[in-house]
Amino acid sequence: MSTLADYMSTDHKSCDEAFALAEDAVYAGDWVTAESAFNAFGKDMARHFRREEDVLFPAIMNANGPQGPVQVMRMEHAQINELIEQMAASVVTRNAKSYGGLSETLLIVMQQHNLKEEQILYPIADRILAVGREALIDRLKAV
Amino acid sequence: MSTAALSTEQAPAISVPLRFFVIAPLFLILAAFILATNSVNPFADAHSPALLAATHCITLGFMAFIMFGAMQQILPVMIGSPMPGMARFSLLPLLTGTLSLAGGFVLTNPALLNLACVLLGLAFLLFIAASLISLIRAPAKNASRVAILLSVLTLAMAVTLGIWLARGYATGLPLDYPNIASLHIKMALGGWVMLLIVGVSYQVVPMFQLTANYPKWLSDNLAPTLFIALLLSLASTLSDATTLQALAEGVLCALAGCFAFVTLRLQSRRRRRVADATLNFFRLGMIALLCAAGFLLSAFFSGQLRTLSLIIFILGFALSVMLGMLYKIVPFLVWFHLFRGGMKKGVPNMKEIIPESLMRGHFWLHAATLLALLSALFRHQFIWLVMTGLLLQGILLCIALYTAIAVYRRTRRNAEEVLS
Repeated sequence: MSTLADYMSTDHKSCDEAFALAEDAVYAGDWVTAESAFNAFGKDMARHFRREEDVLFPAIMNANGPQGPVQVMRMEHAQINELIEQMAASVVTRNAKSYGGLSETLLIVMQQHNLKEEQILYPIADRILAVGREALIDRLKAV
Repeated sequence: MSTAALSTEQAPAISVPLRFFVIAPLFLILAAFILATNSVNPFADAHSPALLAATHCITLGFMAFIMFGAMQQILPVMIGSPMPGMARFSLLPLLTGTLSLAGGFVLTNPALLNLACVLLGLAFLLFIAASLISLIRAPAKNASRVAILLSVLTLAMAVTLGIWLARGYATGLPLDYPNIASLHIKMALGGWVMLLIVGVSYQVVPMFQLTANYPKWLSDNLAPTLFIALLLSLASTLSDATTLQALAEGVLCALAGCFAFVTLRLQSRRRRRVADATLNFFRLGMIALLCAAGFLLSAFFSGQLRTLSLIIFILGFALSVMLGMLYKIVPFLVWFHLFRGGMKKGVPNMKEIIPESLMRGHFWLHAATLLALLSALFRHQFIWLVMTGLLLQGILLCIALYTAIAVYRRTRRNAEEVLS
């Protein structure tokens, strides 16, 4: 049986893949591919955040889960979105140097954020949301 | 399960890790100075007081400072548990203790050695206690936590043995110096340094370059097996069982080699193709670890190879990995603390904090220092090249760190001016 941690961690990995595709294209100077890859990455990230902010986090809160960690995760989402916006601007201006610096920064912010979720928040969610977990995963998939 | 741990407030102030980091390169410079002024040749005499002083400048002055600073920063992220504030009070005793120890060796001064025992004992006591509290409270029960916990336990053993040796030197006690020193080195390098790098690598190798995770058979078993091999080494040395001693050493080499091999393989199949200084330092470090393990296995044929293995482990493996980590952590910290301070626009990105050319230059200088070390095995005069390399690396790292701090201060000042 799949867990919330498994499902959401796999979602992280697919965002990572999209991130790498966009970065590869920028470094290769192929801005046409870079633009579509970056847009795909942005969409993947936005969907992942919706899965968490619209479905998973409210479910954790309703089950009397810990508020502090959820609050911190939301704040980090805002940080990540800010960086993605700045990257979008450098895609428009085709500024590879600025994109490279921002994507380096985003990678670390994103990875340490994922680490906290995968090691702490998702296991908590799996524990307190054990009942009805499959229905919840279905709702996450539907986003 | 504690969940209070997951708060951004657990990230210490930027000054906490940076204070430890900025002191570290000064000890590389001091080590080079001690080696140069005492005409040391490690391949002719591996136990000269000046060599012991220079070695401890690198292991305590450089490596311990980097590891103390880095652990306070990364434990909250890696295992979800901050380090109690007492860890930061280890800075002063670690600094004065390392200086006393180096001074005690160079000047053959028993009072300084005794003072070093007290100060270093205090520094490590504070740090080990803080680490254990953090590890016990950690909500994340992962392989990194196990490896770091075992690393802290072996550190406690290394420190105890080290203090015993230093007290022996100071008072002229008739100790079994070669065997105790050998155990002290194994616990410090094979235990503390190796296990800490293993635990941290489990998370940062996949994170920095988007590689696959370490295979489960390795991450579940490597650290505990290393720890058992170290205990076996301890027991066999104390009971004079030489065959068992050789066996334990062989196991340690095999495990280290296996870790290096798997890491290189993961990195060669990384998803993120962009190569940077950190990746280069890590790869060089892993190649050096393979060499160190190979040289130690061949030390049966020549005592010089044992010395070479130790130096390659310290300068080639540990130093490389730590430099690679520093060049990732420091730019991130500067960015993070500026961004968290509420600034959005005008925050320099990670590549605008320490120039990439400087980091790459440092990598090549470091690689050249290691080549000089290998050539010194055949022509002992080349040791001066190694000293020069260490000296230049210390200077370069100082420049890199002070550049990062200057960027941080300038950006904050500019933002404050805009606000006012």
